[in-house]
Parts: sequence; C-alpha cells; structure tokens
Amino acid sequence: MASQHKIRSRTQYLTLIAGICVLIVIAACLSILIGAVEINPGEIGKIIVNRATGRELFARTWEDNVETIIWNIRFPRVLMACIVGAGLSVCGVLMQALTKNSLADPYVLGISSGASAGAVCAIILGVFRFAGGYSTIFGATAGAAVSITLSLKIASMKGRITSTRLVLAGIATSALFTALTNLMIYGFHTGSDKTKTAQYWMVGSLSGASWGKTGYVAIVFAVAIVIIMLFVRDLDVLLLGDDVAENLGVNTKRIKLVIILMATVLTGVVVSVSGVIGFIGLVVPHMVRTVVGSKHKRLIPAVILVGGLFTMMADVVSRVIVAPEELPIGIISALIGAPFFLYLIRSSKAR
Amino acid sequence: MRLHVKQLNYQIDKTPILKDISLEIGEGEFVGLVGPNGCGKSTLLKAIYRTYKPERDTVFVDGKDVCGLAAREMAKEIAVMAQENSVEFDLEVMDMVMYGRYSHRKFLEGEKKEDREICLRFIREVGLEGYEHRSYLSLSGGEKQRVLLARALVQESRLIVLDEPTNHLDIRFQYQIMQTLKKQGITIFASIHDLNLAAMYCDRILLMEQGQIIRSGTPAEVITEENIERIFGVRAQITVNGLTGKLQVYYLPVE
Repeated sequence: MASQHKIRSRTQYLTLIAGICVLIVIAACLSILIGAVEINPGEIGKIIVNRATGRELFARTWEDNVETIIWNIRFPRVLMACIVGAGLSVCGVLMQALTKNSLADPYVLGISSGASAGAVCAIILGVFRFAGGYSTIFGATAGAAVSITLSLKIASMKGRITSTRLVLAGIATSALFTALTNLMIYGFHTGSDKTKTAQYWMVGSLSGASWGKTGYVAIVFAVAIVIIMLFVRDLDVLLLGDDVAENLGVNTKRIKLVIILMATVLTGVVVSVSGVIGFIGLVVPHMVRTVVGSKHKRLIPAVILVGGLFTMMADVVSRVIVAPEELPIGIISALIGAPFFLYLIRSSKAR
Repeated sequence: MRLHVKQLNYQIDKTPILKDISLEIGEGEFVGLVGPNGCGKSTLLKAIYRTYKPERDTVFVDGKDVCGLAAREMAKEIAVMAQENSVEFDLEVMDMVMYGRYSHRKFLEGEKKEDREICLRFIREVGLEGYEHRSYLSLSGGEKQRVLLARALVQESRLIVLDEPTNHLDIRFQYQIMQTLKKQGITIFASIHDLNLAAMYCDRILLMEQGQIIRSGTPAEVITEENIERIFGVRAQITVNGLTGKLQVYYLPVE
C-alpha cells in the first residue's frame, strides 16, 4: 500500500474535502429527484428551505403530496444513507486500527450480523421492552457488543491477529448470528411475510428511513465522532502495533476500550435502522487512505464524507437499476465490495 | 542508578527463560548484552521495557518500579528500539519519527515547532536527511532500522534499550549507529551480536548464557578467548588493535 501520491499540504486536503462536499450536495439532489413520482428540480430547494426555516419563504407552486414525498420520504432517506455510510466507514477505520489489518470492518468481522440478530431479538421476542421505543437500537447495540467480543476473541486467540484468522473469525461469527436471526424470524415471527423480514435484516435496506430514525442515528453518530476525534493521535500510534504503541507511551488499554465501545455503538445504531449493509467499512477507508494517508486526523473526516457519498450513490443505483422495483442497497454494496475484498486479500501484507 | 534489575525470573509456557537475573546500570553507562542465540537476551530486554510483564519489585528505572508506571511515564523513562515488522498501513518517515514525541505532548496538544525541529535533527543524525516524506514501507531494512533509532532518540528518555540495533545494517551504518548512540551521553543498554562492535563501544559487557548473566565487566574482562570458546563454541584469538586501542576478535576455523 505504499503510495507516493498522497495529499500532503493542508490546502490540498481542504480542497479535496470541499470537492467531496460539493459532490455530496449534487448526489443528494439527484437522489431526491429520482423516484416514481416526477418532481421539478427547482421545487426541491424551495421545499427544503421552507421546511428547514419553518416559514413560507417561497410561494407554494406544488401539490401537498409532492412536499410530503420530498420532505418526509426522500430527504430523510438521503440523510440516513449519508449517516449510515459514514458510520459504517468510521467503524471500518476503527476496526482496522484495532486489528492493524485492512481487511477488518464491521461486516467482515460479523459485528453487523450480531447487531442485526440483536435488533431482531428485540423486535420479535420483545427482549428489551424496558427500553421502550428504543428497544431495537438497544437490542442491536447489545448484539454488536456480544459479536465484537466473540469475533475478536476468536481472531486473537493465539496472539497476533493474522488476516486468515480475522476472516475465519468473521465467517464463524457472522454465520452464527445470521442463523440466530433466521431462527427467530422463522420460528417466532408472527407477521405474514417472514422471508421479506429476514431479507431486510440480512441484506440491508434504507427503505425504512424516516425523520425519527434519522434523528436519533444522527445524534449518536455525532457524539461518537466527537469522542473518536479526541483520540486520533492514539489511533495513529496504535497502527504500529500494541507493544510499540505502549512503549511510545500510549495507554493501549484505554484506546482499545474506546475503539470497541464506539464501534459497538455505531454499528448497533446503524444496523438498527438499515440492517446489514456489507463492505462499506472496507471499501471506503481503503480508497480514502490511498489519497490522504493513514493519519486519523485527516482520515476520519474524509472517510465520513466519502462514506456518506458512496452510500448515497449506492442508494440511487439501488433505486434505478430495477425500477420501478427497488433493490436492497446491501446487494449493491456487496456487488462492489466483494470483488474489492478479494483484491484486498491479495494485496494484504499481514498474512 | 538508572536501571536496576533485582532477581528477575521469567517463564514462557512454563519454561524458565530468565533465571534470577540481577543487574545494575549506572547513569551514562553504555552496556552491551552478548550471548548465544536463545540465551534470553531479547526476553530480558522485553521484561525491562514491559512488553513482557515482569513481577513487581524486580525492575526499577531511576528508583521507580516499572510495574507502577503509566505508559506515558514509562515512555519518558525508557526509549525502546526493537525489531518491528508489523506495519501494515503506510506512513511517512517524518510521521514515524514524530510518534516518538507522543509522550511529550499533552492530551489534544498539536505538533509544536520544537517537536518538528527535534525530529529533523535526529533524522539528520541517522543519515536520512531528505527522507522526511518518503514512505516508510518503501525503505530498505537498514533505512527502516535507522528511522526506528531516530524515533527512539526523539523520545529524549535518559535510558534507551535496544534489541540488536545494528541488525540488517552495512558496516558503515553499524558504526554510525553506535557512534550516534555514544554521542548522546545517555544510558544505553543494548543487545549486540558483533563482539568487535561491542568491544569498541561498550563501557561494560554482560555475558548471558541459558537465562543467566554469567559475566559482567569491561570488554577486556568479558570478551576473552576462553569465554568465547566456552559460550559460543568457537576458538578465537584476541588482540589489541594498535590504532584504536580496542579489542579485536578473530575467529579461528575449527580444526
């Protein structure tokens, strides 16, 4: 992964960030435009400004249902795609720092499957009823916590985490939790469409986006990012290996705990609203690393933006590719991510 | 007393590797650790810099038990240079060296000008000027080794522990590294393979065999024909070099 073409100066970096932001706005507009109901592009901006400011700055030239579609369906979906993608990408970065391996991400390690099983457990068995409306998010986070512990335990059983061990640990964990999810759905789900429910939780979809969900995911995401950004230097040094980091003065126990907690919460919350969307945490950090390098102070902000952009684009593709039907976004991300994963395995240094 | 080891024992998988080791290294001493492969040199060094956890009250740096030190305090006391081969993500030489300043920076504190200057100074000292923005993974083994030395030096600890610092290096850099170390006026404890190199730079040499330190003294006291034959199983002839006044070891073929 040696590259001499990295962005070095601050100006270059900020230009890059600004460029990605522009692309995000363009992608967002595109994403809102595309759909079964045709919408006049000019009206989108007006509706959003009106709604965001709470005033009628622009005279209404559109029908009520158009406003509902834009403001209550498409706009929250775009935001959620952004946050889900950003969250999964950051989780990828965190897991990579923890394992010192570019193959690590919440999906490959089976953490997403664990979160998914937790969410299903909360919904179908009603296990976390005490958490009220937050029982799904609670269940997913608990599932993520169990699976991250299990997966890392298996991966690091004999000291150093090798790529083989990491991937095998992920396969085992993922298989176990996917089986549990299916068991719960087919065994205890009282709803009519079991297959559809199972598919939703296993392949991932953004079709359930709403303002309510987007809101709480955004809050958790923001808090997690602030905490992670406090530890960027520790993350940098941790990439050199636990022993070396310790010798250089890093409190490795603390930073590992921060990583595990943040990755658990982020994965849990993201999966609770979108199911298991694979490979984003693998693809996005790798692409960004080749451009901005592996210093987390620069890596993480760029990964957040690119992750958001990538997922938004994948969402657009998932909606147009078999229109008027909608493909779960997890299928698109897997179609892109799986070949990428193979490529990473080939070029991985730690064998 | 910079470093004080008291009756240190260490086992790996129930096999005793270090047996009742005691040693003292005074302020400013350059001490070499020599011994055959598998005698426990690396284990001893690792136990000192805590990669292997020693028992309480066995290893003291500047009078403080290393078991009671936080990672940051420890890094201020001991800088470590060991073999490293686990870097999967690439980074620039300057960043790599800058990580040596970690323990000097407070939580959330950015890079200071002073940090950069120190890094540049030691990059120059190890002969890597102009390499600041080269990628670490693209360097040769010897260059990597020198980057690691620079990183250990910018840590500005008063004790530096090195595990075979001259491994992989050609002759010029073997001597350059030793020279650079000697010049710092700090306490140095290094395992060294090359007996000639050890004899030239060390104030004192510890000879290790099967987990124990069996000799300690000046190079002339420890590096003797008799010891080399007994410990390494190689016949040797030792003379004093007329030019340097240092010991010179010649290994003789087995007859």
